[in-house]
Amino acid sequence: MALNDTTLSAPTPALGLRKAWRRLRSVPPLVTLCIAWLVLMIVTALAANLLAPYSITAFDLKARLAPTLLLGGKLAHPLGTDELGRDVLSRLIVSIRMSLLIAFFGTLISTALGTTLGFLAAHFRGKVEQLVLIAIDFQASMPFMIIALSVLAFFGNSLLLFVALMGFNSWERYARITRGLTLAANEQGYASAVRQLGAGPARIYGLHILPNIASTLIVSMTLTFPEIILLESGLSFLGLGVQPPLTSLGNMVGYGREYITRAPWIMLAPAAVIVMTTFSISLLGDWLRDRLDPTLR
Amino acid sequence: MSPLLEAVDLHRHYSVRTGGGLFAGKAVLRAVDGVSFRIRAGQTLGLVGESGCGKSTTGKLALGLIPPSSGEMRYDGERMPAAGSPAWRALRRRLQMVYQDPLGALDRRLPIGTQIAEPLVIHGIGAVSERRDRALSIMESVGLQRHQFGRYPHELSGGQRQRVVLARALITEPRLLVCDEPISALDVSIQAQVVNLLLDLQERLGIAYLFISHDLRIVRQVSHDVAVMYLGRIVERGDAENVFARPAHPYTRALVSAIPTVGDKRERILLGGDPPSPANVPPGCSFHTRCPFATAQCRSEIPTLQPQDDGREVACHRVRETALRLVA
Amino acid sequence: MLLFAASRLFRALLTILFVMTFAFFVLRASGDPALLILSVDAPPEALAAFRKAWGLDQPIWQQYLAYIGHALTGDFGKSMRDGRPAIDLVMERVPATLAITLPALALKLGIGIPAGIYAALHRNTFADRMTMALSVAGFTMPSFVLALLLVLIFSVTLGWLPASGNDSPVNAILPIITLGTAGAAIMARFTRSAMQEVLGQPFVRAASAKGLSWRRVISHHALPNAAIPTVTIIGFMVGSLVAGAVVVESVFAWPGIGRLLVSAVANRDLAVVQALLMVIAFWMVMANLAVDLAYGWLDPRVRSARAGGH
Ligand SMILES: Nc1ncnc2c1ncn2[C@@H]1O[C@H](COP(=O)(O)OP(=O)(O)OP(=O)(O)O)[C@@H](O)[C@H]1O
Ligand SMILES: [Mg+2]
Repeated sequence: MALNDTTLSAPTPALGLRKAWRRLRSVPPLVTLCIAWLVLMIVTALAANLLAPYSITAFDLKARLAPTLLLGGKLAHPLGTDELGRDVLSRLIVSIRMSLLIAFFGTLISTALGTTLGFLAAHFRGKVEQLVLIAIDFQASMPFMIIALSVLAFFGNSLLLFVALMGFNSWERYARITRGLTLAANEQGYASAVRQLGAGPARIYGLHILPNIASTLIVSMTLTFPEIILLESGLSFLGLGVQPPLTSLGNMVGYGREYITRAPWIMLAPAAVIVMTTFSISLLGDWLRDRLDPTLR
Repeated sequence: MSPLLEAVDLHRHYSVRTGGGLFAGKAVLRAVDGVSFRIRAGQTLGLVGESGCGKSTTGKLALGLIPPSSGEMRYDGERMPAAGSPAWRALRRRLQMVYQDPLGALDRRLPIGTQIAEPLVIHGIGAVSERRDRALSIMESVGLQRHQFGRYPHELSGGQRQRVVLARALITEPRLLVCDEPISALDVSIQAQVVNLLLDLQERLGIAYLFISHDLRIVRQVSHDVAVMYLGRIVERGDAENVFARPAHPYTRALVSAIPTVGDKRERILLGGDPPSPANVPPGCSFHTRCPFATAQCRSEIPTLQPQDDGREVACHRVRETALRLVA
Repeated sequence: MLLFAASRLFRALLTILFVMTFAFFVLRASGDPALLILSVDAPPEALAAFRKAWGLDQPIWQQYLAYIGHALTGDFGKSMRDGRPAIDLVMERVPATLAITLPALALKLGIGIPAGIYAALHRNTFADRMTMALSVAGFTMPSFVLALLLVLIFSVTLGWLPASGNDSPVNAILPIITLGTAGAAIMARFTRSAMQEVLGQPFVRAASAKGLSWRRVISHHALPNAAIPTVTIIGFMVGSLVAGAVVVESVFAWPGIGRLLVSAVANRDLAVVQALLMVIAFWMVMANLAVDLAYGWLDPRVRSARAGGH
């Protein structure tokens, strides 16, 4: 009883966090698995250099197309080797890092770009807003795959350009959300109130609006991240994304496709990683969305 | 002595679409259509009128939140700078606003203490260490408790939230507060508390109010002067006691006679129907469509505010005749 | 309605113009188009002739107008690989793409919509959960992985179906299944949520409270309303048929425009890329237009509200 009393009357710190935490505490088992998998992927990406048993270009010509452990392979190459005798596990680990890095920076660029444009549209209205809206329409009406392919055709490929390109993947989603929510906040409510107090744009957008729309943006990021992984791996699979000697998950699948009859494991391992990662993020995102943001479908 | 705040022939027009589909056209919506008033330091001007007559728009114009289509707002004899400009922002120390919906006006993610102290941060007032103390002391003076400093808006009652908004508005020691229906979202007992608080603060700090409401009893209680708006124009203006005790304009009389408790068996003027749309203002006196005394002149000629014997101003062609009838 | 249709058409044309402008400026920004389109080792006379033919010696706005003029007549230059007009190369590939994407679309709608409705009507049952889990799997699985798995199972292991090529109709089966499966997953998910939203609406509950039979409530009230958001996603699917085919056509060596795009990008055959970009944009915009019109037709409220919007 006494315990109850104190918990009830104690001033609640950080409404957002505390409340969010309470809603997130009961995690269903499948989501726990997803989180575990993602943690594993992140650790792999961060510690890729320590974890990879071999260099990704190290040939072992005596062990070409060695099978995985499951198919009676040797402990030296648990996931087997490829045509040149390169260790699939090592390549996989380095590829995970590459694919996650690209998706990570792509998502960041996408979010930053879209949010900034959304703020600009809502702040300046008029011509600026019309321009942003036309760009949003354009982006939404063309499949990004096609835009990406034509940019790659026109400009050629480099890793930097490629990452920047991935950053254009779904900026329009953030621009739309940010503009809508900012307009609503500016129209009536806390944002116009703070403006009325004499606050400048930096304070209004950075300290008030951004934290208020952050949860919606984060939920959208769980959509963008797997999208970029899929896009990146698709393009790399086609040989138009990450270029050798660098390697990504899509590259590995594309390379393994040549050996699908003789050594399917080359292709199966990275394919499984792609599917499990995007699946985990999507499921986690779905769950977050249900919990935190019922307004977003 | 020059007034603290002066509005000179303010207009605020919006262009709106009428209808839809094939025949969509544009029309001018005259939200505010030639409004002038003055507010002296430490005084209250009450602004009353039906929903949609342009009260909130006038309030926003008064603070310079939106620019007038024509006319001028003057603060301390100087023209109001453009919204968002550094000069305008600096002026926010002196001109503040209290909102109808206090929950909407507060950032739900920040503790109220932080929000109350925010104007000090914005305007760089006081040392960082002092700000908390100033916030605490202003909280006490609006009747909030010190331990509520770390609370979040949703953890307070409606009345307490309105006090938070008030405290935030008062912390920079403003000279004018625009209160746009500050109490209509509160229940009656709390309304009285907030009204008394406003009166008390005015006495102690000498703040001037532009008090917007459609609750005539409360306007009567707090205002020195009162202005009655109809379709974007002021139709009657004068000393509050005077106007409410002896309303001269037929519209004011209708409003006053509709106050339930002031039922001293006077004539009751019932207003038929809704006011016309401000996008389609009737020619002549805009009130003629609902006025029992309207004549041909009223339908063609726009009446202007004319000073009366007792100092008030009324915009009505038939003010003398109808006043006679009242006495009779 | 007329005004509504006109405003949509105007927007569609604007988008196409936007795509053309995009292609024009990206092309100019990426270097000398003569060098890019004719390749670096073209003889100087050819370069000069090309510059003259495309007006590259003129001021930029005239170039832009000339470009638009050329584009409108379907002239995007010649493929640097075999010297044929780019637009011809593209158009002759269109039937092959349609041959796999249209059956795939039928598959998506035919499986996705009923599955979605079923899941919505049987919420939280095992069948619902299975449908949803499969649908998440369906759209988190990249099409090339699905394609390769199908090849691994049906071609490599079982030997039932050919893994690539286009010599017989049997060759189309795997591409169609690949394309259809992912789409059906998205469709099912979308239909389910549209349906669920409608079922939660007061008017549906009111209709069932009035004593209408459940079957009637579903068929007369819920389904028509759920159709409105569903049309959007169908339109989007029709529009992105080609984009989806890019990867699948490459995996199965199917000679459609998706595969053409990949090889044109790999070879930097810019004339062909541009022609493809325009054809795809045109297709996309037409699909969007059709959706907008269908929307107006399904929901009169949208019609007037959106005609008034931006
Ligand atoms: N931004 C705007 N665009 C178009 N019309 C507007 C805009 N703001 C206000 N109006 C119109 O101007 C008129 C006056 O609005 P205002 O908000 O000032 O009324 P009000 O007197 O405050 O009403 P209430 O008592 O309901 O708050 C209304 O008809 C309103 O629809
Ligand atoms: Mg108002």
